[in-house]
Amino acid sequence: MSQADSDPDADAIERLFDRGVTDGLPVVPPTRRLVDRAVAASGRDADELIALVPPNYGRATVEKIAVNAVMAGCRAEYLPVVLAAVEAICDEAFDLHGVSATTNAPAPLVIVNGPVRAELEINSGAGVFGPGWRANATIGRAVRLVCVNLGGARPGDVSMSTLAHPGRYAYCIGEHEEASPWESLAVEHGFGPDESTVALLAADAPLGVYAHRSRTPEDLMPTLAASMAVISHHRMTHWGDTLLVLSPEHAKILGDAGWKKGDVRRWLHDKLQWPVRELIPGRDGGEGLPEHVLAKYRDPDREATLIPKFRAAEHIKVVVAGGTAGRFSAIVPGWTFSKGSNLVFRRIPR
Amino acid sequence: MTEYLDPTDSVAVPRKTASRPSSLDGKVITLLDISKAQGNHLLDRLEELLRERTTPKAIIRKKKPTFARPAPDALRKEIVGATDVLVEGLAD
Repeated sequence: MSQADSDPDADAIERLFDRGVTDGLPVVPPTRRLVDRAVAASGRDADELIALVPPNYGRATVEKIAVNAVMAGCRAEYLPVVLAAVEAICDEAFDLHGVSATTNAPAPLVIVNGPVRAELEINSGAGVFGPGWRANATIGRAVRLVCVNLGGARPGDVSMSTLAHPGRYAYCIGEHEEASPWESLAVEHGFGPDESTVALLAADAPLGVYAHRSRTPEDLMPTLAASMAVISHHRMTHWGDTLLVLSPEHAKILGDAGWKKGDVRRWLHDKLQWPVRELIPGRDGGEGLPEHVLAKYRDPDREATLIPKFRAAEHIKVVVAGGTAGRFSAIVPGWTFSKGSNLVFRRIPR
Repeated sequence: MTEYLDPTDSVAVPRKTASRPSSLDGKVITLLDISKAQGNHLLDRLEELLRERTTPKAIIRKKKPTFARPAPDALRKEIVGATDVLVEGLAD
């Protein structure tokens, strides 16, 4: 290449691709100036250790996370959100070791609550899971780059997901608290309405639920239940933390009828239960109750004991998000095998 | 030239795999079931074949509580202290 063809920025981007430290898209070259600016915006020491990132247990200091956030395209002021998200995924309850290594497809979904949504223009409205919003796109992407560069979750090497899903590029939403008839996800979990938080879910791709004609809870709830019934497999039971994303229009149907979030959870939990005799593996698909559960019953073929889809109603996490027009909701299944991943919260310091 | 910072942690270098023994005779072999469905079938058959074809000092069977998480420290220490060869049964 001649001197005239050389472009330092483009060359830096190519070198970062070659090192395998990207997600396959171009990254912003992490200069000392950009990284220092992000660290300064966090108000924390560059060397402060936030977490060890499974499965390789790389040291995620404020500066290392800032390097990845800069590469992801974050503005400096996003760093406190990224730091909180990284701390959350490294909590043992999240089980990042399993999430990053499994043949299943989970990606850390960042759910943001509180005033920080408006301060950083984190989208919680129209197109909430989609592109076009820098904060959502780059905060989600920064979490992915940390998983790869500090956790070692390189696809096909440590990260052995059979299919993965597009949320592994970036997966970050705000809750549309202003369009919700209920208290927010964070407030439900003990935080104040003036506090900003992230909640991290090891999440499959969103499954859309269309319910245009539903005008009452009696219409809407069975529609939601029918779609939740097939999470993972129609006979998979004892599921854990899973997100139900209600559009503002759907939430309004329930709120106007006096339903609370707890009512939604309990109704779905009670509805999504089947007798043992309908959960025997090998009838219409190989999945079903495991042998050690079937062994508890004398005659499983006739057993009427009900087994729930979710281990408890509390595992159905409800948020309101998306545009104020459109009767679409979404189910975001968690990765919740026995003792698997749980929703983890962290407060974002002001 | 502009300085670019390293996004990785140089401490977290990939670990080398252990050297492979030339023979299994006289060795203590641990077969670790990670609690995936059917993993025990694979390890049962492997144990049969090992007993047929080699003369190990012992074959020990261990099981992780769940495949979704790393083995508990106590189990790892137990295995490291008492075995020459480990076979882990990843399966479905």
